Amino acid sequence: MLAAAALAATGLGGCTARYGVPESAATQGDDFLFLWRIFVPIAIVVVLLIWVLVLLVVIRGRRWRRAEGEPSQHQYDGKLEVAYLVSPLIVVAILFGLSTARTADITRLDPNPQLEVEVQGFQWSWSFIYLDRGVAVTGVPGSVPVLRLPLGQTVQFDLVTVDVIHSFWVPEFLTKRDLVPGIDNAIDITPTRVGRWTSRCAEYCGLNHTDMIFTVEVMEPDAFEAWLDDAAAGRVDDVTLSTVPATTRAEREAARG
Amino acid sequence: MTVLDARPGAASEPLPHLEPRRPRGVLNLLVGTDHKVIGLAYMITAFGFYMFGGLLAMGMRTELAETGQQLVSNGVYNELFTMHGSIMLLLFAGPFAFGLANFLVPLQIGAKDLAFPRLNLISYWVYLGGGLVMSSGFLTADGAADFGWFAYVPLAGAVRSPGLGGDLWLCGLLLTGTSGILTAVNLLASVLTMRAPGMTMFRLPIFTWNMVATSVLVLLVFPVVAAAGVMLLADRHLDGHIFDVANGGSAILWQHLFWFFGHPEVYVLVLPYFGVVTEVFAVFSRRPVYGYLGLVLATLSICALSVGVWAHHMFATGAVLLPFFGATTMLIAVPTGVKFFNWIGTMWGGKLNYEPAMLFAMAFLIVFVVGGVTGVMLASPGIDFHVTDSYFVVAHFHYVLFGGSVFALFSGIYYWFPKFTGRMLNRRLGYIHLALTFVGFNLTFFVQHILGLEGMPRRVADYQASDGWETLNRISTAGAFLLGISTLPFLWNVWRSWRGPLDPAAADPWDGHTLEWVTASPPSAHNFDHPLPPIRSERPVWDAKHAQKTTGDAPDVADAAPGERSAT
Repeated sequence: MLAAAALAATGLGGCTARYGVPESAATQGDDFLFLWRIFVPIAIVVVLLIWVLVLLVVIRGRRWRRAEGEPSQHQYDGKLEVAYLVSPLIVVAILFGLSTARTADITRLDPNPQLEVEVQGFQWSWSFIYLDRGVAVTGVPGSVPVLRLPLGQTVQFDLVTVDVIHSFWVPEFLTKRDLVPGIDNAIDITPTRVGRWTSRCAEYCGLNHTDMIFTVEVMEPDAFEAWLDDAAAGRVDDVTLSTVPATTRAEREAARG
Repeated sequence: MTVLDARPGAASEPLPHLEPRRPRGVLNLLVGTDHKVIGLAYMITAFGFYMFGGLLAMGMRTELAETGQQLVSNGVYNELFTMHGSIMLLLFAGPFAFGLANFLVPLQIGAKDLAFPRLNLISYWVYLGGGLVMSSGFLTADGAADFGWFAYVPLAGAVRSPGLGGDLWLCGLLLTGTSGILTAVNLLASVLTMRAPGMTMFRLPIFTWNMVATSVLVLLVFPVVAAAGVMLLADRHLDGHIFDVANGGSAILWQHLFWFFGHPEVYVLVLPYFGVVTEVFAVFSRRPVYGYLGLVLATLSICALSVGVWAHHMFATGAVLLPFFGATTMLIAVPTGVKFFNWIGTMWGGKLNYEPAMLFAMAFLIVFVVGGVTGVMLASPGIDFHVTDSYFVVAHFHYVLFGGSVFALFSGIYYWFPKFTGRMLNRRLGYIHLALTFVGFNLTFFVQHILGLEGMPRRVADYQASDGWETLNRISTAGAFLLGISTLPFLWNVWRSWRGPLDPAAADPWDGHTLEWVTASPPSAHNFDHPLPPIRSERPVWDAKHAQKTTGDAPDVADAAPGERSAT
């Protein structure tokens, strides 16, 4: 019966089920989905196992209640106890192995990313700095900053906070990482589909945490390059745009020591 | 009682003892050191905080029912969730468990009181004082603390949160933490030194065992959070710079110290209630606790593992060793899984008695498992990166702490209320209470899993119409109001039973197993007026009642160790 339930749970969604999460828009999101599609069906099976056992207690309990005399006072079964100790151990060992392998894919940083963007979080908006070109997009009051990204290119985000802890989360990328004072965090994202999504700061950061919103726009590489050229040349009329000194990756790595 | 008196050789006369002068009325509440009075004071106070924290939650849910601002500003919303979390975790669930333990542990081990009755009294007053200090932030000009219940720095520092509310919160944390430490010392000393003759450690009732485990955890982690609180106060007022990165301090250090307390704290909040349902399953199935030894070892291994998992709250900080904390966290699922089989094994084959206490415990099984499996998901860093700090986590820990602790807590109240007060609770009102709580709880929190997965962060006061989250938020808000309403039949039930001239309870209305059921309801000042039955297993009262039915000779049969008895 449980095997049937497991089949139903996985068969119901098959390989396309997302169990509530948005459609992935990055290879890192695909890695999340790989784990998610294993963890959720197993979780459903475990929940159903307990529910079915409780249901069986209730159904069979009608007979037990009618029986003569006191119920059996049987208290220990060595083999059964070992079985219900070892079987969850095996399940979590497998889950741990899969989780560790895929997590390593999600956290891996490309030594030569195609684009490097510094994400600065501050109370209560964001700044996205395209370091190679010296283009900065900064949220100003009354505006929502737009993080433009090229399709199919690996983008490295350097996560920096100006004040308190924030968290960079694009739900469609199915991953997030915190911006913590004193910690140099970076994540790689390789967008896999064009789109425009609303994102929010995920770590509570004070009074207007709720309003710390940004937009992510994944564009065709040509369109992205055209926009970046225009922005670097000051040809785009946008209050959120400004320029900073451009640096090369070699210079930045030298500066980091 | 009558069964015991009928046992051959049992003394039928009460033991002579000196009746102490007992302060009465209000004076009794202020200076009385009777563990039962202090226990009730703990439970009533904690339940008051539960209702206060619940009202704060209903304020939040009202704000989130629609897009835009309805009830409160961003700033007030931040105070609401900060104080809701702080009150529920620090002032309600833990202290309520200590209240239960205060009342029950001395009775279950056959003692007259706790080891240090006056220390016990001061624990209560320090707890009440700490709770009032923490809550009094609402009365200050800048409002209560608004940096979230885990008070991450730099946000909780003097620059970003200068208000008095933050200081009151920290002082409240220190006071309630001190109270918890004192109570843990008291409980451990009592269990280790005051057990009745014959009650070995492996004959302790499971509730008492779990309070031992809880107390050990409290002693391990409460001093750490108290130290961290002092450090943060030093940063806020004495230019400590301990957590100040710009001056060589470390912001992430606070998270390590806080979660080294914060995660075991979750077990401090659930282990006592695991003990409650274990007793309820056994008594209302007329069965022994299935796999008693394995269950105790599972509890102790949960304790041991729980001090090595804290950084799973910090996966997204990029500053912790992911595989280690993933592994320890997933391992906790194993002893927790063992407990589920113990509980089901206890009911298996039993004569089930569906009193409200039993149904609340079964409801606990049904909802708590959901919080358990989402916990395993969160233990995988790759999954956690997406779902942490979202409503998925909010749903997860409410399935653990409401689905786990609160359902089990109500089970315990329905079970022990006759012992506490000498009166029975109304069964029909109990069923209504259960039905409303079960439906309200699942409506409120199940949909929050989906909201989180879709991208709704926790701790936001608003969202946009374009997000498409309004329907699920409305369902959640409706559930929250149902949950609020569900408390009313319970309160009415308690009130009419306690105040009215109704339904006096027998000493042992449920055919109980443990020593609290051999004495009167409520017990007299010295707890036991008659000699205790011989203690030859973890359920001496059951043994005493059933000895004659099996062989007619009580001590011989009951003398068998738990492991041997399974053969009979």
